[in-house]
Amino acid sequence: MKQMITLEVNGERHELAVEKDATLRDVLHDQLNLDGPKKGCDTGSCGCCTVHVDGLAVYSCMRYAVACDGAKVLTAEGLSAGADLHPIQQSFIDAGAVQCGYCTCGMMMSAKQLLDETPRPDEEDIRHAIAGNLCRCTGYAKIVDAVKLAADRLAG
Amino acid sequence: MNSRMDVVGHSVERPDAFDKVTGGKGYPVNVRLPGMLHAKMLRSPYPHARIVRIDASRAEQLPGVKAVLLPKDVPQIKFCPVFFVPAEAPSMVLDFDVMNGEIVRYVGQPVAAVAATTAAIAEAALELIDVEYEALPAVFDPEEAMQPGAPQLHPNSPNNIAVNPSFVAGDIEQGFADADFIFEGVYETQRVHTCYMEPRVCVVDMDRQDNITIHVTTQHLFGTREKLAFALGLPESKVKVVKAPYIGGGFGGKLELTAMEPVAALLSKKTGRPVRLEQTRQEDFITTTRNPIKVYLKTGVKKDGSFTARYAKSILDCGAHATHGAEVINVHGAFGLFFNYHAPHAKWEGFTVYTNNMIGGGYRGYGAPQGSFAVESQIDEICTKLGLDPIEMRLKNARKQGEPHPFNPAFTLSTYGLPECLRQGAEKIGWTAAIAAPKSEGAKKRGFGLAVHPVWVSGCMGFPDIYEHSGAMIKLNRDGTADLATASMDIGSGQIVTLCQIAAEELGLPAGAVRMSSQSDTDNVPFDAPTHASRVTYSSGNAVKTAAAAAKKRLFEVAATMMEVSPDDLEVAKGVVSVKGAPGKSVTVAEVARRAESPFVQMTPEGPKPTTIEEKGTIIGMASLSPKSNPTPCAAQFVEVEVDTETGQVSVLRAVYAHDIGRVINPAAAEGQIEGGFQQGMGYALMEEIQFDPETGACLTSDFLDYKIPTAVEMPRQMDSIFIETNEPTGPFGAKSIGECCVITPAPAIANAIYNAIGVRFTQLPITPEKILRGLGKI
Amino acid sequence: MALQNLKDFHRPDAIEDVLALLGKDEETLILAGGTFLRGLEARGLLSGVEALVDIRRVGLDKVVADNNGIKAGAAVTFTRLRGVVARQQEAWLGGLADALDRPPVQVRNVATVGGCIAAACPFFDVPTALLALDAELTIRSSDGERHLPLPELFDGLFANTLEPGEFITEVSLPRPPGNAAGAFLKLEATANDLAIVNVATQLSIDANRVCTRACVALGGGVADTAVRSAAAETILVGSRLDAAALQAAGEAVISDIDPMSDHRASAAYRRAVAKVMTRRALERAVARLA
Repeated sequence: MKQMITLEVNGERHELAVEKDATLRDVLHDQLNLDGPKKGCDTGSCGCCTVHVDGLAVYSCMRYAVACDGAKVLTAEGLSAGADLHPIQQSFIDAGAVQCGYCTCGMMMSAKQLLDETPRPDEEDIRHAIAGNLCRCTGYAKIVDAVKLAADRLAG
Repeated sequence: MNSRMDVVGHSVERPDAFDKVTGGKGYPVNVRLPGMLHAKMLRSPYPHARIVRIDASRAEQLPGVKAVLLPKDVPQIKFCPVFFVPAEAPSMVLDFDVMNGEIVRYVGQPVAAVAATTAAIAEAALELIDVEYEALPAVFDPEEAMQPGAPQLHPNSPNNIAVNPSFVAGDIEQGFADADFIFEGVYETQRVHTCYMEPRVCVVDMDRQDNITIHVTTQHLFGTREKLAFALGLPESKVKVVKAPYIGGGFGGKLELTAMEPVAALLSKKTGRPVRLEQTRQEDFITTTRNPIKVYLKTGVKKDGSFTARYAKSILDCGAHATHGAEVINVHGAFGLFFNYHAPHAKWEGFTVYTNNMIGGGYRGYGAPQGSFAVESQIDEICTKLGLDPIEMRLKNARKQGEPHPFNPAFTLSTYGLPECLRQGAEKIGWTAAIAAPKSEGAKKRGFGLAVHPVWVSGCMGFPDIYEHSGAMIKLNRDGTADLATASMDIGSGQIVTLCQIAAEELGLPAGAVRMSSQSDTDNVPFDAPTHASRVTYSSGNAVKTAAAAAKKRLFEVAATMMEVSPDDLEVAKGVVSVKGAPGKSVTVAEVARRAESPFVQMTPEGPKPTTIEEKGTIIGMASLSPKSNPTPCAAQFVEVEVDTETGQVSVLRAVYAHDIGRVINPAAAEGQIEGGFQQGMGYALMEEIQFDPETGACLTSDFLDYKIPTAVEMPRQMDSIFIETNEPTGPFGAKSIGECCVITPAPAIANAIYNAIGVRFTQLPITPEKILRGLGKI
Repeated sequence: MALQNLKDFHRPDAIEDVLALLGKDEETLILAGGTFLRGLEARGLLSGVEALVDIRRVGLDKVVADNNGIKAGAAVTFTRLRGVVARQQEAWLGGLADALDRPPVQVRNVATVGGCIAAACPFFDVPTALLALDAELTIRSSDGERHLPLPELFDGLFANTLEPGEFITEVSLPRPPGNAAGAFLKLEATANDLAIVNVATQLSIDANRVCTRACVALGGGVADTAVRSAAAETILVGSRLDAAALQAAGEAVISDIDPMSDHRASAAYRRAVAKVMTRRALERAVARLA
């Protein structure tokens, strides 16, 4: 038996019938066709599926969708619209932080919480803020650069 | 060499980055087809057992289950699933099968599969399949497996030896007799996983006429086609492999067919619906690995540090099937152990050995990291014992530019910038001062270490049976842009931007004016060998450059007709074709492309004007070729570490990496490769290891909670990349390649730095905190 | 892995409803942040669950911080508690602050104080810090309320002493007397790891800088549960917390731990680093004393 829930995803309200044990990630990916929350481990360790729920970064593979009933969800798709990118997105491009790109969406969502809370992070703040996100391509150097760049841009 | 080019040599923005920051569509994991079913595989819990009986009747009854696949439904064909060799390559071992109904040889071997309307139902159905096994004795240690009386895994491989390559040069006994000192050591490396972030997944549609369309995480479009067709006993043309625009990492881990693809295909045929099979991370951890190798290394040295003889024996644990292990051993012997240094007398024996462990696979470096750890550790031991300078010692014995290639007599080492890598790297880290007086505070001891390594680029020849050639097609558009189509897979390392830059440079177009087609498949692009063996920039790059040159030739012919000059008098840059020496006389590439595709009579302000037959036809260029060589990039790696002598924890404080990769096509992309390669090498050195329960053979480290890879916090705060830009004459614009050097040297460099810090030599990877404390005698 | 037997996923609004649901004849689990529970499910360890009861809407998400200490509802997230602790800027909360910093942000934002305790997972960080703070639990059932010192909740590896129908509603952290400070240290393979060994220390001194109270707690596989080291505490109390005392206290933890060997570390290694980490955590706490 499915259960009805309401999610506001990237500003749009959805009434969804979900399996009771479905994770938020599976609902976002399979039912709402969002590609941003990616499955990398399904055990809350890699961070590829990171989204914001009510303004905070979470592993969407570790949240049951039913438990998120009524929540506001933001995925990488919702960071920007139209021709202009969010400064975090633009900084990931400009700093060369994107390689295979599979970790990128989750990485940006963790970076977003950091920059929401700490507009002027130092390097250690940044490295710890993305410690829950694994990347196997970059060695993280250019990702750290990207977050620094985004901080500068957001601070104007 | 062109000292300054318009597009090549610049950190051009990756055209794929926009997609990837806005949600990341375009990966196989995101393919959703209407009516798609979901499949799961049932895997053996035994490391070695006979299958007595399989009964799937209960599973078939479960609502939502659409098909069950058992071994009897799967063609029983033995072959080599490795993409870069033919399925029946004589140099490989043909022992792999998709799903056999008789014997399981490792924990995790697929024995049945289910397709259902949801993945959860498929998974529930697996529990309803009853399999009766008769357990057989298992063997997990390759040296035990080689002993008489050990359980035998395959009928035609006595003592479980799958292959046993060797070579001899000179007289090894004489070489050791000539030595003043003899050094012996045993160096062991562990089983590690590539840890690509996108799990292995495929979505397959197979119709009643056996036509297959497959979307899949792969490093080789055509390898997938060939092996999938072979596994199912079909002609290759029945299989269409769709090129995913993006793959979420590979690193060698998506370089062979596994059960996943044929199982999904057969389930699709059975159900008449597309079938998606996504592996869990746990399944990925037991699907491919870097083979562990134990190296016995003996070296004879003169007082002045020159090598007289070198003997090595390598025992490679390939697990239950040989697959890559039959080739990894060769690359390991030739490039891992014997390429770095001259030894007048040399002998090597390699053993690829079956065990009841998981099947090994390809992983960046492909045998070289295992060899380099032995060679570059031992040379440090020699320097310490004989009081020799580790840089001078390496230079004294290293191969040199202009020398014959040691394993390919047809070639010379046309570019080999190792001395300059060592010099500039040493200068950057301040080697001389650093090594003399490392800084230490209390329980934390600092040390410096270095290692060097060359790598083999898959080019035109080399190891037997390897596919080498590449193809490309390029087409000019009427707006002055170009479309490039190749089968070369971008697995994250920047193949799209690099190949587009090469095409743009050759065609005289601005960066960004060449676009990689996102709609390619095995039906519509020419063959390319895999994205592996550091080959894409060099080999695919050469094909792209040649295709672009062909298009440029046609561009000049049309332009010459338009301008009433000879094509030989034309040049093109920044999208403008002009007459050499008369820059005012020019047409744009767009004008030429429009002209070539214009109607026969063009309407102009002056009235209708005819064009000529000679100008007609879309400007295209194609190539399918092997490049002329197998060049040799090389690198020198320097690290500074800090060892906490109370906890055994090692921090890498700094890494300096000097590479000769020939001409650098895209510096930012190249740096990204190096920084990521260092991360993998550092994980190999310090923490990563797939571990198994010694009793049951079950994997203990099958997710990222238990298998640790470095996060941003463990990485050095400073990583410097230095490029020594030799100009490889056979490379596209002088390029060689970069994929693998950077992953090979971190382990020995870090081991050497740990020795420098605490005076303890570690010969088994990973060098965990626990091993450090044991080495220090604290536990 | 799925919860194949799951019939109901409840999101009640009141504690009474939770109690009623716990009283039904179903295999029922309390769900708060869910990181541990979902982790078990993902590894196929929870297939029998028939009902989940999400307690995040029953008013257990409040934190009260005053002169008596801190009271946190069981459903308070690490992120929320971390914010409260940071605002307090009190040295006695130093260890808790350290421990709350350790999980990745995605875990901090959902994992709860009650959940991490009920999990009885010896590799977690926050329970070790709470153990050093003499945490007391409030436990509800349809029979009423009872209070339990944290150590009495632990009943071995991944096992707690809660009776059927009971669940944790609140965690109380009494403010220690006088000049007090705490610290927490973790030994891990990476910054996204469970503890191989972790240590929380809590010290109080009198006007003469003599130690009047000491708590030393260790986790991370030093035993089936996080444990206190009475031997270390005995050495510290009455000492001047000089280097020799801290060293001796570190050595003494050996008698109170019984480390496990697993694929992450051997018992011998855990024993060796437990001593070092204890000494260092004590040094860190001493440095924070006013």
